[in-house]
Amino acid sequence: MECGVLLNMRRALQLFILLCLAAQACAASHTLVLVVPVDSKVSDLDSLTVRKLFLGLPVLVDGSLLHPVRNRSDAELDPIFLQQIVAMSQSAYDRQILNGVNRQGWLRPVEVSTTSRVLDTLYADPNTVTFMWLHEVAHNPKVRVIRVLWGD
Amino acid sequence: MRASGLLLLVFLLCPPLGRADPLRYEFLLLPSASAVGTFDRGAENTQIHDEVVQADLLLTLQKGPLKLFGEYLASDHEGDLERLQLGWQVSDDTVLWIGRFHQPTSVWNHDHHHGQYLQTSITRPAIDEWEDLGGVLPQHFTGALLESGATVFKSWRLRTALGGGIAPQLTSEGMEPFDLLRPDSHRHQMGYQARASLHPSEFSETGVGIVFANDEITAVDPHSPEALGFDHVEVRLAGMFANYAGATWKINSTIYNVDTRLYYTGSRRNDSFIVGYVQAERRLPRNLTGYVRWEDSAGAGSSPYLHLFERFARSRRVAGLRWDFLEHQALSVQFANSLTLDGHYNDIRLQWSAAFF
Repeated sequence: MECGVLLNMRRALQLFILLCLAAQACAASHTLVLVVPVDSKVSDLDSLTVRKLFLGLPVLVDGSLLHPVRNRSDAELDPIFLQQIVAMSQSAYDRQILNGVNRQGWLRPVEVSTTSRVLDTLYADPNTVTFMWLHEVAHNPKVRVIRVLWGD
Repeated sequence: MRASGLLLLVFLLCPPLGRADPLRYEFLLLPSASAVGTFDRGAENTQIHDEVVQADLLLTLQKGPLKLFGEYLASDHEGDLERLQLGWQVSDDTVLWIGRFHQPTSVWNHDHHHGQYLQTSITRPAIDEWEDLGGVLPQHFTGALLESGATVFKSWRLRTALGGGIAPQLTSEGMEPFDLLRPDSHRHQMGYQARASLHPSEFSETGVGIVFANDEITAVDPHSPEALGFDHVEVRLAGMFANYAGATWKINSTIYNVDTRLYYTGSRRNDSFIVGYVQAERRLPRNLTGYVRWEDSAGAGSSPYLHLFERFARSRRVAGLRWDFLEHQALSVQFANSLTLDGHYNDIRLQWSAAFF
């Protein structure tokens, strides 16, 4: 009888651990992170600088201009980009980009529509800064995660 | 072509400054088409063209901290290289330009430049009008421009600009800026400008500011028999502006005090006038925006300087409606009542404008 209780407790514990792992995996798939190439000079970017970068404003690190890449490989990324990264509506964002080009000759962030192209851009240019789902880059030795931008 | 070619050559010969950086570019096309009809005319000169189809093309090439920025305006009446600037991004907040630029003390033009789509109203205030459309203040200079920004009071933003360069010249047709594509050999003088504005945040359009300019403009043709011996004019401008940009309302207000000294052979005439405007815009349902603008002046009627510009509107009331009917496309209708130095007229305008990139 006592042995059966212990067995049940062990099974419950195993089930709990499994549930925790599953939850962690699930969270990782819904965590958006800011990433740079592993050889990037960027060590940290605060949220204001990230916002500037993706609004097209120039951001230099050690004299190098950073190149933002807007990842549009997943439809779920667009509302997160607008709400969490640039903090404005699509129309306000378009207006900001147009004004930047018209007034200062700023470049808008390059838009990339597949994960493989986002990674290719990261590998090719050490000044690239982009955002990706954590599970897409979690074990990639060529990419460095700078910060968590969003998680559900 | 020589000047623009030289700038391009300098740009291409500087790759060491931007090592390992790919050449990146941005292109923006701002086309528009408009028609205007005037009525109740009591003035000889109203506007130059009744219909205008134009395309404003902007191109940026960037490699590392260097960039080449150009704006070419092509219309069914003319084609002009409006801006051609070689820039060096010194830091996040500072860029140094050389080339032909829009001077920073025109509050309206500093924000809107030539693209019709990016301004709500069809026309700009008379005091900020371009030189080739009867403008009374010089707008295009060829020289150097330093633009900078800094965080002040914790989160407020101070934006500054200092410019200096070759000023336009004054001809019988009005003011003519130095043309990079077709440089002339006439005597040109210099002009200097300064602008500072304070904003509640890095990204805010709301703010207040001041502008100062001192421009020397050479007269190259006699305007009339009375203008014989007219050599040059010194234009001193001091101005203030305040803008509010909310989700529903947008208000722009500017006031300039202009002192001029007209130098003739052996004599000088001084005058002073004040010009200001307020524009209010209200966002309405169904992607509509209504707007009104009131422009007015003091001392304009007696200004010998302003009498060199026949079309200048010393007072104007503007009301209009803009409909953003598609993404990056808008239709506008506008009514205006203008009082010029020699009469008055009303006009109604229709415009389609767009942005493609």
